[in-house]
Amino acid sequence: MKLKTWILTCLLVLVFAPSAHAGDTLSVDIFGPGQSKVNILVLPARGPNGSGTSALGTSFSNHVQSDIGYLPFLRLAYMNEILGGDPSKGLKADDIDFKPLQLGRIDLIMTVGARGQDIEARVYETYTRKLLVGKAYSQVDEAGVPLVADRFCAQLMRVLTGKSGFFDSTLAFSKRVDGGKELFTASALGRGLSQITRDGGYNVSPSWSKDGRHIAYTNISDKGHRLGVWDRASRISRLRKYPGNVAISPTYTPDGRIAVALSLNGHADIYMLDAAMNPSAQAMAPSWGISVSPSFDLSGRKMVFCSGRLGGPQIFMLNRDTGAVERITYEGTYNTRPSLSPDGRFVVFARLTSDGQRIFIRDLVANQERQISFGPGNDEDPSFDPDGYFVSFASSRNGGTKIFVTTRYGDPAKQIPTGPGDAMAPAWGVAPALQ
Amino acid sequence: MNAKRLFLSSLLIGLLVASAAGCAKKTTDAMPAAPTKVEISDKDGDWQNNKAPESRSLSEDEMRAAQRAEAQQAVGNMIFFAFDSFELTPESRTVLTSKADVLKKYSLFNIIIEGNCDERGTSEYNLALGERRAKVAQQFLSQLGIADSRMTIVSYGKERPLEQGHDEAVWSKNRRDEFKIQN
Repeated sequence: MKLKTWILTCLLVLVFAPSAHAGDTLSVDIFGPGQSKVNILVLPARGPNGSGTSALGTSFSNHVQSDIGYLPFLRLAYMNEILGGDPSKGLKADDIDFKPLQLGRIDLIMTVGARGQDIEARVYETYTRKLLVGKAYSQVDEAGVPLVADRFCAQLMRVLTGKSGFFDSTLAFSKRVDGGKELFTASALGRGLSQITRDGGYNVSPSWSKDGRHIAYTNISDKGHRLGVWDRASRISRLRKYPGNVAISPTYTPDGRIAVALSLNGHADIYMLDAAMNPSAQAMAPSWGISVSPSFDLSGRKMVFCSGRLGGPQIFMLNRDTGAVERITYEGTYNTRPSLSPDGRFVVFARLTSDGQRIFIRDLVANQERQISFGPGNDEDPSFDPDGYFVSFASSRNGGTKIFVTTRYGDPAKQIPTGPGDAMAPAWGVAPALQ
Repeated sequence: MNAKRLFLSSLLIGLLVASAAGCAKKTTDAMPAAPTKVEISDKDGDWQNNKAPESRSLSEDEMRAAQRAEAQQAVGNMIFFAFDSFELTPESRTVLTSKADVLKKYSLFNIIIEGNCDERGTSEYNLALGERRAKVAQQFLSQLGIADSRMTIVSYGKERPLEQGHDEAVWSKNRRDEFKIQN
C-alpha cells in the first residue's frame, strides 16, 4: 500500500508540475534592485485569418513598439535574433514554435492580427507558452490606432509590473506661446496635446489635484502674481491675487488643499490654503529665508520643499505631524525644485553642477544619492509619476527646452512629443488626456 | 358782482400777460432768423473756443507723455546683482538714490519694480529670489522717502531674460531689477 501511495504521489507531482510551472507567471519588479530587462519580440502583423498583411495591423504594431521604447524594463528584440526567422504561422500559441524563441532568449512574443477595422493582439510568455495579455479592439480607424496601442501597452505594463500610471496619466506643462507661457496637457506619450489656458502673461508651475479635476498654477503678468485654478469640467480658469507680491509653486495635497508660497512677511514662505482659498495664519516651516516648491507624499504628512534658510537653496523635509524640519541635501550649493515619491521614500531634485542643472535622486531610507540625468544643457523641474517609477523633467539638451522622461534608476531619457516651441514644468495627473 | 368783475378782469389781465409772453417767445424764436450770421459767427467762435481747450488738453496729454518719457528715462537705469544674491552693491545704491530724486520730482508717477534672474537657477526659486531683488530696491527707495504705495513689485524670475546666452557676461545682465513708470 505504501509503495502504491508513493507511486501515486509521484505520478500526481509529474502531472501537475508543468501546470504549477505555468502558473509562475513572468513579472517584472520595476522597483527591485538591479532591474533586469525583459526581451520582447513583436511579430509582423498578420491579415485576416492570420495570413497576408494589414496596414492597420502594421500601424498598430509600430505604435506598440514605439510605446515599448518608453518602458526601460522591456527590450525590443529583432527577428534576426531568432534562428530560422518568423517562428509563427498564425496568431495563437498553437501557431507559434516557441523553441527558437526560447533559444534566442526571447521572454515575450507578441502577435498582431487585423481584419478590416478589428485588431487582435496577444502577448505570450515563451517559456510557459502562457497568454499574458490578449485583447481585441473593434471599429478602430487610423486616427484611433495610437490610443488603442497605448491602452494595450498599459495592460501589458499592468500585467508585468502591477502598475500602469505612465499610460493612465496626463501631463500638464507650460509652453511658450506668443511671447508668454500658457498651460497645455497631453498624455505621457504626447497624445491629445491641448492648450488649456489663455490668460496672457506667463503661466508656470502647474500642479494636478489628485482627483484629476483641477490644475493649480501661477500666472505672472504686469498685474503681479496670481494663483490660477483650472477646472477640467468647465475648462475655465480662475485667477486670484494674494497679499504680498508672489504666489509661487502652488501644489495640491492628496486631500485637495493647495500649498503655495506667498510673501506675507517680506519673503516667500509656504502657506496652506483653506477650503475658501484663504492662507493659513502661520507659514509651514517658516524661516527668514525663501521657501518654495512644496511636494507631498501620498499620505500628505510629509512635505519636501526648497529653502534658502541656511544660505543657498537646499532641500528640506517637514514632518507635518511633529513639525520637525530636516535637511535632506548636503552636497552641492544649489539644490532646488524637489518632488517626493508617493511612498515618501525618494526625493528627486535639480542640482546646479559645473555642467549645468542635473536631476538627482535621494533615497531617504538608504540615505544614498545618485544622479539620474546627464544633460547636456540644463535638466530641471523633475516630477515623479503616480507610481513613483518614472521621472519627467525639462531639459535644454537638444537646443530649446523640451520634456523628457527617465526612471528613478536613471534610464536613458526619452523625449515626450509636445509640438513646436519650448515646453517645461511637467506635472503628472491621474486623469485621462483631453480629447 | 364786484367779485365777478374782479375775477373777469383778473382773468383778462392773465390772458393778456400770457399772450404777451407768447409774443415775446415768438419774437425770441424769431430772433435767430434775423441775426443768422451772428449765430454762424458765434458757432465759428464756439468752434474756435472748443478747439482751443482741445488743443490745450492735447498738449497736457503731450506734456504728460513727455514727462512720462522723461521720468521713464530717468528711472529706467537697471540695477544688477550677484548670483543667488539680493544684496545691493554700492553702484546700485547710487543708482537708487538718483532714482529717489527722480521720483520726488515726478511725484505724479508710480513705478513697477521688476525683479529678474539669470537662467541658471530653477524657475520657482528664481521667482522668490526675483521678489527679494525687487523688494530690496523698494525698501531702499522707501527709506529715501518714496511712499510704498507708489511702488509695485513684480517678480518675473527667469521668464524675461534681457539677453539670450549661456555665459557669465549674459547672466550678469539678466540678474537685474527693472524700473518702469506705471501710470
